[in-house]
Amino acid sequence: MTTSANGNNTYRPDAIIVGAGIAGMQSALDLADQGLQVLLVERESSIGGHMIALAKVFPTLDCASCITAPKMSASAHHDNIRIMVNTEVQAIRTVRGTHHVKLLRKATYVNFDKCIGCRLCEYACDSEYPDPFEAGLGARRAIAVPFTNAIPQKAVLNPELCTTCGSCARVCPTDAIEYDQQSEVVEIETDAVVVASGFALNSLNIKPQYNALQSKNIISALTMERLLAPHGPYGRVLRPSDGKIPSSVAFVQCAGSRDVSIGVPYCSRVCCMYAIKQAMLLSGALPIADITIYYMDIRAFGKGYEQFYQNAKAMGINFVRGKVARIDPIEDGDLNLHVETTEDAENILQEHHHDLVVLAQGMVPEWNPSLSTPVAVASDGFVATPMLTAPTSTTANGIFVAGVASGPKDIVDTIAEAGAAAMQVSQYLYQKRAAQEHVAGPVLVG
Amino acid sequence: MSDNRHSTAQPGKEEYEEAVLKDDAEYRQQHETVKRQQAEERERAGEPAEPKVGVYICRCGGNISDVVDVERVAQVVAMVPGVAVAKVHTFMCSDPGQHTISNDILENGLDRVVVASCSPFLHEQTFRGAVSRGNLNPYLYEHVNIREQGSWAHKHDPEGATRLAIQMITGAVGKLRNAQPLELIKLPNHRQALVIGGGIAGMKTAAELAARGIRVLLVESSNRLGGRLNERGRVYPSETMASDLVADLERQVRNNGNIDILLNSKVTVVDGFIGNFRTVIEGLIGPSGGFDKRDALVGAIVMATGYRPYVPRDGEFLYRQDPCVLTTPEFIQMMQNLDAGTGSLQYNRRTIRSVAFLHCVGSRQLDGVNEPQADGTLNKYCSRTCCSTILQQSLALRKRFPQVHVYDFHRDIRTYGRGEEEYYTEASKAGVVFFRYNGEDPLQVERATGASGKQAPSRKEAPITITVKDMLTWGQEIAVPVDMVVLGVGMVPSHIEDLVDSIKLPTGEDHFLQEVHPKLRPVEVAVNGVLIAGTAQGPMNIQETLNAAAAAAVKAAAMFAREMVELNPYVASVDASLCCGEGLCVTQCDYEGALHLVETEIDGQTVQRAEVNAGLCVGCGACVAVCPHRAMELNGWRLDQFEAMVDGLMADTQHADCEPQLVNLG
Repeated sequence: MTTSANGNNTYRPDAIIVGAGIAGMQSALDLADQGLQVLLVERESSIGGHMIALAKVFPTLDCASCITAPKMSASAHHDNIRIMVNTEVQAIRTVRGTHHVKLLRKATYVNFDKCIGCRLCEYACDSEYPDPFEAGLGARRAIAVPFTNAIPQKAVLNPELCTTCGSCARVCPTDAIEYDQQSEVVEIETDAVVVASGFALNSLNIKPQYNALQSKNIISALTMERLLAPHGPYGRVLRPSDGKIPSSVAFVQCAGSRDVSIGVPYCSRVCCMYAIKQAMLLSGALPIADITIYYMDIRAFGKGYEQFYQNAKAMGINFVRGKVARIDPIEDGDLNLHVETTEDAENILQEHHHDLVVLAQGMVPEWNPSLSTPVAVASDGFVATPMLTAPTSTTANGIFVAGVASGPKDIVDTIAEAGAAAMQVSQYLYQKRAAQEHVAGPVLVG
Repeated sequence: MSDNRHSTAQPGKEEYEEAVLKDDAEYRQQHETVKRQQAEERERAGEPAEPKVGVYICRCGGNISDVVDVERVAQVVAMVPGVAVAKVHTFMCSDPGQHTISNDILENGLDRVVVASCSPFLHEQTFRGAVSRGNLNPYLYEHVNIREQGSWAHKHDPEGATRLAIQMITGAVGKLRNAQPLELIKLPNHRQALVIGGGIAGMKTAAELAARGIRVLLVESSNRLGGRLNERGRVYPSETMASDLVADLERQVRNNGNIDILLNSKVTVVDGFIGNFRTVIEGLIGPSGGFDKRDALVGAIVMATGYRPYVPRDGEFLYRQDPCVLTTPEFIQMMQNLDAGTGSLQYNRRTIRSVAFLHCVGSRQLDGVNEPQADGTLNKYCSRTCCSTILQQSLALRKRFPQVHVYDFHRDIRTYGRGEEEYYTEASKAGVVFFRYNGEDPLQVERATGASGKQAPSRKEAPITITVKDMLTWGQEIAVPVDMVVLGVGMVPSHIEDLVDSIKLPTGEDHFLQEVHPKLRPVEVAVNGVLIAGTAQGPMNIQETLNAAAAAAVKAAAMFAREMVELNPYVASVDASLCCGEGLCVTQCDYEGALHLVETEIDGQTVQRAEVNAGLCVGCGACVAVCPHRAMELNGWRLDQFEAMVDGLMADTQHADCEPQLVNLG
């Protein structure tokens, strides 16, 4: 395995990729396949990013892990890729073309070289908390392998929940538990960096008039992904407040984007399509449920997307063009939506009852690199890309960007851009080394 | 149907079946002989007579073991002849799991391995790697999917899923018993890329590869580089001049010695395979600039052939019937050709006081609403760029001619990209009036009849009327008089039918080139070594095109990073001692050049024998099925392997406590 990359001076990868979601993994693979040495750095305990937690993906309705897991596996087993999980980039300092990347390797309290992923510690642990991988719907033990198909399959201890009862250490067959493990800072030099730090969703409560904090049945789209996933928390679609099978589900679009009042004027680009996809999957899982999508414009612009949208309409999913003004929790955990439509002159202000509501939150950047690296961000908070003919270049020479770090994108566009970033890196390195060693000739093949 | 078939039985059918049965019997006899010989050879070489198969069953952390009784599976398959060990592990794909395999091979002398876990799509390569690390040929490995095809599919039937797992594993063991070691096919790799199309996609691909030290032939059919961008003015969202973008990329390709640019040229012949495509380029090439032909041997081909703007039918929204109905490219050209100081907008001797922009012309077409194209198909897709182009143009028009009323007719506004929503906001602020209609209720564009009924309108009245059921005002029917209509035309693929035929490129329902998989292999087509860059694949904006082009370049760069092209060994092979040279296989073969007859000398006589080109064979097995002499075999999927596999699949697994009964189907 490649997870135990050490921080000593002898290790100098050709490129460091920040973030091991689908963008970072694809960039890493496209570089490694050219014979370049890549360090893939991930803040979470597993690579895979948001994508590994999705149920199915549009427009092919492939299961998300069927696409993500092979890329995770390929990254982990590639001879030219090293992976560091639980690791954050603290700062990047560039001196004469060399990037000094300062990495915080967070304590996991488990010695990864010894851990064999047997999960005996997990089974022995008594302390539980809402599982972040399951959007808080399931439970995770204080020491656990993050999720079934996580890579690496190593247990990680959550110090905030651990009672230091010692059960895990007693059952561990390899003495891998280290309660006194410390976080450490390492600095690794490299010639090129790819920022693939992805996105976060803005708060479920960013529009207070939707009252998301007042009802467990107003959920995030990522929560809906877990409800729909075959190996999700309940193994079926149940609403969180009382476990009822929902009979009327609403999707509220642009609930955190295209909205100047919350400071997110841009379109998050994927919400229309995932709402349509989730609506389709729901109508398969709950054949008698009513499913309604409240929207401003349906933005089904990618290859095969418009056809996907038309199919959803033909399947009987309701599309209501109108803005949801307010959501009120009512009796029995149900919800009352106040909607302004432009389609019916007799009935402009409507009220609709639903028993589960999915909010299309907006995509915002996960990381602001401008605070600690030479990479500038634009007014929307995403990485600025000033070179028109090289959309993966940033304001910093030798640092590139891929995926949602430079603005919302769907998976297809992210994968293309990750390949493009890898191409920019490899030709940058080739040019750089050709200039350095013009007598001896370039060191890269090809 | 069945009665019918009975009555029209082919004469000689019985004889034919008899012959096949006879062949079958002969084949079986031969097969038995071969097996006996192999066993004898093994014995002579001091090898064990039976293969030693290791079977590893994965719990997948409960994904499998919550349904399938994996311990029982291990217990039963351990009794299958040839199985030396059967083990269960929580995660076979984890490092400890993989280590068990390589360790058992080295320590226990296993010579075949089966893993029963998830889909081979996920981890077949993983376990081949583990087998290799045990110094065993990686093709002496079988992958059994008992998750997607077992525990997940049959989660309500644990007993059935368990029995199914036993049967599938027994089948795999059977197939493996007769397996032979295989090697990757290695072929020469010509490190030069042919990029077809000199628009921004082609230039970007060429520039990236050349900057990486790879030679490129860039072929453009017109007399200049730049493609469709040469017809554009300022482009969204940067508001840069398109000519500046083209100039930037053109400088990159012209200043790189690794790129040969061939203008006025066409690729007319393509054959061969990945690493080894033989191509012919015709056109105004050569030192004299005269018409010439040139052969090129290239390792990869990049299709950067772009798009054409949709051309409306005569009369579609009055196109070619009213001189002031223009497509977006025509409108952009018109605006560019206007004199700088013009105060009022004049076109075709008409004072333009109002302009309507229509979205989705030639895109998002609906069954039963829109008229199909000449070939009977509808352009059902969204062309992705028209919304932003229209809003950019309508905003520019309002700014330059504030007295001109601008109306926008759309179904949805799709300004999805970074910096695009701003055009929508700005256009609204600048006084562009928006109308929204449902696709099922299309708008009408007609010549205005004038206030006095059927007469032509007076000079003061607008000559065109657009009627729409407007969904922004609760479905009111509104008639809008306008002087000019701009049709926001979508994208359709370039005329590359010849290349599609000659390279056998797959196209989608939308007629654009079809990638293998939008996420797993987004820039590759089913023909190995052929890549797609940009709008040849489907509508994209400039940034997306540049990214797609660089993504195609990176795949080519990875391919050229290897000395040799490596292909998987599952290709057909010919047993020359059985082949009679009848050529039935050649006529069945769908892959041109993969299979052909060659003349060879046997016992002083010149005869014909089938020969496989491993570079072109895709291993479909069509030749195997038709060969009456069983001379064709598919490596890794030989017929004796199939038979053994089927025998295994039919094993009686009802009683877990007894050995599976192998049923002989013969």
